[in-house]
Amino acid sequence: MIKTEIVSGKIEPFPSEDSHHNDGAELVFNGRVRSTENGETIRGLFYEHYEEMAEEELQSLAAGTAEKYPISDIFCRHRVGEIPVGESAIHVSIWSEHRAEGLEAMAWFISELKKRVPIWKWAVLENGTKIPSECRHELPTEK
Amino acid sequence: MKVIVKCFSQVRYHLGKDELVFHLEEGVTTSDLVEKVRDQAGDLLEGVSLRVAVNQKYTPEAVELKDGDEVALIPPVQGG
Repeated sequence: MIKTEIVSGKIEPFPSEDSHHNDGAELVFNGRVRSTENGETIRGLFYEHYEEMAEEELQSLAAGTAEKYPISDIFCRHRVGEIPVGESAIHVSIWSEHRAEGLEAMAWFISELKKRVPIWKWAVLENGTKIPSECRHELPTEK
Repeated sequence: MKVIVKCFSQVRYHLGKDELVFHLEEGVTTSDLVEKVRDQAGDLLEGVSLRVAVNQKYTPEAVELKDGDEVALIPPVQGG
C-alpha cells in the first residue's frame, strides 16, 4: 500500500503494526527541525510548497519507490507551514520482508524527495523574520 | 496569450511576488519565459538554478507555451 499526505498541523505518526506477518522489517524515519540554520539560532522552519504539484510528485515518488524496491508498504506524511524546532517535518514508514531492501528504499525515497518534490524551507529567526534557506538577506514583507 | 508564472522560495523572495502574469506572442517557449523573468530580476537570480514545470509537470526540455498555461519556476527544492 502507498499512502502520502501533506499536512499543515503537527504530524500524527503512522501506527506501528503487528499485522504485517510477511514483513520482517518496519522502518520509521522522522526528519526533525534543528535549532540552527547556517549557524544561526532559529525558532523553526517554514515549509513552503507548490500545493497541486507537491502532492502529485510525492505520491508519484512513493509509487516509484515501491516499484524500484521490493517493499510491501510505504507511508509518508510531510508537514508544511511553520514547524517549531524539535518537531517533525517528515515522517516515513516502510515495511519490507528483509531489512536491506527497506533501508535502501528509505534512503532512496528521502534522497529523491529532496530533488523532486517542490517544497522549500525558510528559516524563521527568533524575531519572526523569514529567510529562504541558504539566502542571507532580510525578508522585507511577510506574505 | 496569457501565461501565469508561479514564484517560490528565492524567486518569490527576490521578485517580491507570488505570481507574475505575462501576455506573450504565440510561439514563445519556456526558455524564452525564463529569460524574461531573469531579465526582470536583474542580477538577483544570478546563480539560482531554475527548473520549469508547466501545469504542474516538470518539463526538462523547452516547450512552446499555450494560452492559460501555469508555469512554475522551481529553484532547488528542500523538502524533508
